[in-house]
Amino acid sequence: MEEFVKITIDGKHINALKGSNLLQLAKDNGIPIPSLCYHKKLSPTGACRLCLVKIKGTNGLVASCTVQVKEEMEVTAFDDELEECRKYLLDYLVSEHNEENDNSYTDEFFELLKKYNLYDKSKRKYPSVWKLMNYSKDDSSPVLTYDASKCIKCFRCIKACDEVQGKNVLSFNDRGMGSYIIAGFDKWKESECDGCGECIQLCPTGAIVEKPHRSEININNLDRKVKTTCPYCGVGCQIEMQVKDEKILRSNGVEGVSPNDGRLCIKGRFGYDFVQSKERLTHPLIKKNGKFEKASWDEALDLIASKFNECIDKYGNEALAGYSSAKCTNEENYIFQKFIRTVFGNNNVDYCTRLCHASTVTAMLRSIGDGAGSNSIEDFETTDCLLVTGNNIIETHPITATYVKRGVSKGMQVIIIDPKWTPLVNYASIWLQPRLGTDVALLNGMIRYIIQNDLMDKKFIESRIDNGMQAFEYLKKLCQKYTPAYVEQITGVPGKLMTEAARIYATSPTSMIATGMGMSQQVTGTNNVFSLINMMLITAQIGKERAGIDPPRGQNNVQGATDVGASPLNYPGYIPVTNDENRRKVAEIWNVPYESLSSKPGLTTVEIAHAAYNGKIKALYIMGENPMLTDPNLNHAKESFNKLDFLVVQDIFHTETTAFADVILPAASFAEKNGTFVNSDRRVLRVRKVVDSPGEARNDWKIILDIAQRMGKPMKTYNNESEIFDEIAAVTPIMAGINHERIEEHGIQWPCYDKNHPGTSTLFLEKFNTPNGKAKLNPVDYVAQQEKVSDEYPFLLNSGRILYQYHSSTMSRKNDALNAFANKSYVLMHPNDVIKHNFIDGIEVKLTSARGNLTTTLRISEEVLEGELFMPWHFSESPVNNLTRDELDPHSKIAPFKLSACKVEKV
Amino acid sequence: MNTEEILLKYKPDKENLIQILHEIQDLHPQQYLTETDLLKVAKYLNITRSFVYGVVGYYSMFSTTPRGKYIIRLCESPVCNMFNSKMIAEKLKEILKIDINQTTADGLFTLELSECLGLCGNKPSMMINRETYTELDENNIELIIKNLRNN
Amino acid sequence: MIKETRIALKNLGKINPESIDDYISQGGYLAFAEVLEMKPTSVIKEIEDSGLRGRGGAGFPTGIKDRYTTLSCEDCDRYIICNADEGEPGTFKDRIIMENDPHLLIEGMLISAYGIGASKGYIYIRAEYYLSVERVKKAIETACERGYLGKNIMGTYFSFYLEIKLGAGSYLCGEELTLMESLEGKRGYPRIKPPFPAEKGLFGKPTLINNVETLSHIPTIIVKGSKWYTGLGTEKSKGTKIFTISGNVNKPGYYEVELGVSLRSLIYDFAGGMKEGKTFKAALLGGAAGTFVDESMLDTAMAYDSLKEKGATLGSGAIIVLDNDQSVFEVLFSVLNFFKHESCGKCVPCRIGTTQLMLLMNKIKSEADKADILKEIFHQSELMAKSSLCPLGQSPILPVKSSIKYFEKELLTFSA
Repeated sequence: MEEFVKITIDGKHINALKGSNLLQLAKDNGIPIPSLCYHKKLSPTGACRLCLVKIKGTNGLVASCTVQVKEEMEVTAFDDELEECRKYLLDYLVSEHNEENDNSYTDEFFELLKKYNLYDKSKRKYPSVWKLMNYSKDDSSPVLTYDASKCIKCFRCIKACDEVQGKNVLSFNDRGMGSYIIAGFDKWKESECDGCGECIQLCPTGAIVEKPHRSEININNLDRKVKTTCPYCGVGCQIEMQVKDEKILRSNGVEGVSPNDGRLCIKGRFGYDFVQSKERLTHPLIKKNGKFEKASWDEALDLIASKFNECIDKYGNEALAGYSSAKCTNEENYIFQKFIRTVFGNNNVDYCTRLCHASTVTAMLRSIGDGAGSNSIEDFETTDCLLVTGNNIIETHPITATYVKRGVSKGMQVIIIDPKWTPLVNYASIWLQPRLGTDVALLNGMIRYIIQNDLMDKKFIESRIDNGMQAFEYLKKLCQKYTPAYVEQITGVPGKLMTEAARIYATSPTSMIATGMGMSQQVTGTNNVFSLINMMLITAQIGKERAGIDPPRGQNNVQGATDVGASPLNYPGYIPVTNDENRRKVAEIWNVPYESLSSKPGLTTVEIAHAAYNGKIKALYIMGENPMLTDPNLNHAKESFNKLDFLVVQDIFHTETTAFADVILPAASFAEKNGTFVNSDRRVLRVRKVVDSPGEARNDWKIILDIAQRMGKPMKTYNNESEIFDEIAAVTPIMAGINHERIEEHGIQWPCYDKNHPGTSTLFLEKFNTPNGKAKLNPVDYVAQQEKVSDEYPFLLNSGRILYQYHSSTMSRKNDALNAFANKSYVLMHPNDVIKHNFIDGIEVKLTSARGNLTTTLRISEEVLEGELFMPWHFSESPVNNLTRDELDPHSKIAPFKLSACKVEKV
Repeated sequence: MNTEEILLKYKPDKENLIQILHEIQDLHPQQYLTETDLLKVAKYLNITRSFVYGVVGYYSMFSTTPRGKYIIRLCESPVCNMFNSKMIAEKLKEILKIDINQTTADGLFTLELSECLGLCGNKPSMMINRETYTELDENNIELIIKNLRNN
Repeated sequence: MIKETRIALKNLGKINPESIDDYISQGGYLAFAEVLEMKPTSVIKEIEDSGLRGRGGAGFPTGIKDRYTTLSCEDCDRYIICNADEGEPGTFKDRIIMENDPHLLIEGMLISAYGIGASKGYIYIRAEYYLSVERVKKAIETACERGYLGKNIMGTYFSFYLEIKLGAGSYLCGEELTLMESLEGKRGYPRIKPPFPAEKGLFGKPTLINNVETLSHIPTIIVKGSKWYTGLGTEKSKGTKIFTISGNVNKPGYYEVELGVSLRSLIYDFAGGMKEGKTFKAALLGGAAGTFVDESMLDTAMAYDSLKEKGATLGSGAIIVLDNDQSVFEVLFSVLNFFKHESCGKCVPCRIGTTQLMLLMNKIKSEADKADILKEIFHQSELMAKSSLCPLGQSPILPVKSSIKYFEKELLTFSA
């Protein structure tokens, strides 16, 4: 129970929550007790002692940061003695601090020195002692520099790394005056530091500073700071970009705002240089005689309009398609799908979601009625148990992972199911390492154990599952054969470990699931997730706070793009294209004839490529996607693209795909436009313009409207993105209550049905989003993979992402800071296989599958099982998708990126 | 006994870090902690490198540089200091031809200073590895060193 | 003439420290056997009634600490720690006990553990005490073999496991909360207090932490009764205390005497007086974190409160005697240098203050306006004491203030 107490500080009466932090309380109430080592995100340290106060009834002076308030506390925060003490402490502190080049002070430090009249060196009383210490400088990290002579040993960096980011990479070496911050064995570059820069953001004195643009940053001389949303993964971190002379110099996390509360990963902090890369597209380009030539916008747009019209005339509406983009804003994706539906007149609009979570979304839609994550990011810290399946969350969703790590430090249990080691294993209670492609067997085995030991929730089954116990009995029967021994035989996971994991998941008061690409990108992707959901449903680990299933989304706006209708199957708000009533409503808002809106589901991403191969799709409009690196079975995909009559690619850079284009249009990057993204926990977040676009690059939505206009099918025009969002709200019931103004400070989680609705942090508390409100069990059997190892192809290749690069790396590889950490393709192989095949670590190898081949560098690693390999797929010079298959999961049409039989040879 | 065997004697809990470091350091002929060993410790205890290194750096008995077969710890506490431990230090430096915190070229002796060794009744005093030596004076230290050299 | 009264040192010289049979033959483990028949609360009451106070230096009533440890939660894990990180300069009493009578310490811990309901204990010994470590280790092994330690001791429901943990060269780790950090395998930084160990100690659990000497009193208190114990010492300082006397006296060493004995008696009756030709000038009581006294204090009773009244400290029981030729300044210099070396560096006043004080101490050697510098030393020490996080930073004021009080003239005339 929250209990309030009355206290006084310097005679001022304050009502406070019992146990709250005295220093924070004082600050919040406008009583500026000075402090340096304290930060509200960190546990109190009591090191700088500046926040000393007197408390009636307590002997001596006490550091207010270490005091929890109690009833009738009488506090003196300011009197002559305290101020003398503070001045003395601060004077001490600056005697230890190298005052040369002080432009990296934080405001708080600068103000403090001025307040106590110590900024002027001649006013200081104590002799400078830092020079006696021979303090060193660690300049080895690619992204930051630590200068011990500027360090005041406040512990904030150490705690930022440990308590905020959960990494604990920093410590002190030595002791007393000689102590200084270290990473690793006193060498930053060789430490576990992954460059997130949380320590930089929390350092008050500029002892730890970033390297990029260091010489240009002068805190007191910035032109502006603009808050916006990070363009990388689906966490949606709020960043503050600092600009001088129209150049972005720095990206900081925004404190006090969800989802990140100031935290960033290396990409969010150091991954923005691509915006001002010299390689940006700045003019429209038209391919003439196999060569791209600079063209005017008029020329390019007219050509596109005429070619699209020509295609419609020649082959009909169905011969055109579009790829929209998970990188673009909701406003842009909305306009794009509206363009496809009203100008092309079909539903052939899809994007890379088909390649990542389509199977997850399919399974979730069928069983619980919503494809989005059921929880909020904060729940990753407070749930009792987290099951992470096929999800390298620390590398792919680093900020979500900070919540997990913080939870672990408070006792949360983490269960990992992954064939490959991931860094989260270090934080986990149990790691199950099944062979690739055997997830259904493992999960069915867990379900069997849960049922056998009566760990399911019958009341929940009866009240919230369609057909209740009857459906359950069917599942029970199907899972009967998955005994621990049988499961071990298929998966290689020891029965005891599996049953222990099942027990923890089922019996924890609340359990959440974070499911990733390892589960979804398989031929059995949908079945994998069905099985997972079956386990979740029978144990009632959904339908309450801090329980449910969450697929952390890979791209910044992969959630939003589908939310606003970039889907061949659904209109905005997940309303099927087949829903006549909705089409009628939307037609009215769009001001088009109802009959012109097709009710025929469109083609999905890979289907579009197949159709192009078969001559059924002739013209393709791509906005910000790079299928020539991301599609499976690339050789086949390339042939398909070569068969197109006309290809338009709208992007910010040349990519593997622009090479195939007839016309390339230069678009604005995230930093050059306004709009919104939706993150993984359904939070609609603002994107704001930070700088102007380079050259003639334009906003995507404006380009689209211009093409429609020139095609003779003008669409409604808008003055700004806010107006577009209002239209989105009108056609998207789950976003009906959201507009740009409401989310100026904090994002809102959909569903948000009207202007007074606060948004929804947890889904399915009352009912599921299915027609009858009940969840559906979908019992599935384990099916052995078609793709198998053979004498010719003795390895199974797995693929995935790494922290430092991002997807097809069109953005990330344009940042020196990220490349310094990882800029080279490699394949991981188990030591036993390395010995068996007489390889050595570091050699160049050729990987060949039935589809194609590539060369890369061999790395010896115990992270993979014997017989399995792992490769990151970011590097276009070693395109993993040369090896993958384009067989599809029958339910979701997702491709099996995670499992390809191949062989390895020395080059 | 090797590093791995020492590690396996302990549960992989952080609380055993200091004991493990002592054992590994004692085992090394040069009485110090190598980065290779520290890496093994970090991995075994599932803690970061800086955590291990920070602990090593805090406690004065640990060293990350090679030391001699015999580590001389001369007490410099206020009591021993009153009884001329400074002179003993000078004498030791002279005999060994090294400075404080250095190791003789033959790798036999390292000279260190220590806080109070609790031998104040018989000052000045020192320890050499596990042995205590008290009532030191200019003559007996020469003999002590000589005996160890000949050993 | 006053004689020693040996409680913590009762078996000294009478037994082979490595023989548990020797210990038993002197009545060892009888107190513990007796306790197993008692209610835990009665055990704590007996200790509380005895008036025993912590012999590590702070002098907090042991029984009250025991009781607090049982109060913070009904049914949780609790720990007991023996603080054997003896490092206060001039102090060597714990070493003498551990080297000579390790079972007495173990029995004291067993009784306390039973009283507070702890099933796991640690003895944190500084690693330089090799012989102590060996003796205690051997004693634990034999006590286990004989069934005094382990599961269901002597057929009762009481189980208790005991483990040695080593320090690695840090004075500050003798401070109780810092010791717990070190015991958890971390750098020796002091924790914020409160919470006190009795609420949240080792691994966040209620913890009783006592000094070696304190624990070694407990078996005798049980056997002879609190009433007997209260007959020893003074009104507010009951029982005996081991004093370790060093300096230019004829018989430096350790003496266990009833509290209330005079400093004069300790120096002249027990330690055999000053060495030939020397006269008494000063004593530093309680080690580095202690206070200087001059001959005017020779007849003050050596007890917690009587010394406190006169601005002095009993501390760990260390008595460092200076003769007329020895320099108070040099000792103060050495003490402040010691603090500088042992400051952990966590809080600003101690980390920087210990260095700034040494700059001033060096300056005073050479410069003319010594009075101003000395004033500054006093002023900074005082501010350090006010604002520091833990006892280390609060300590320099003790020797500084007391040396100025008694020897200001000497300090002002000192020349190197």
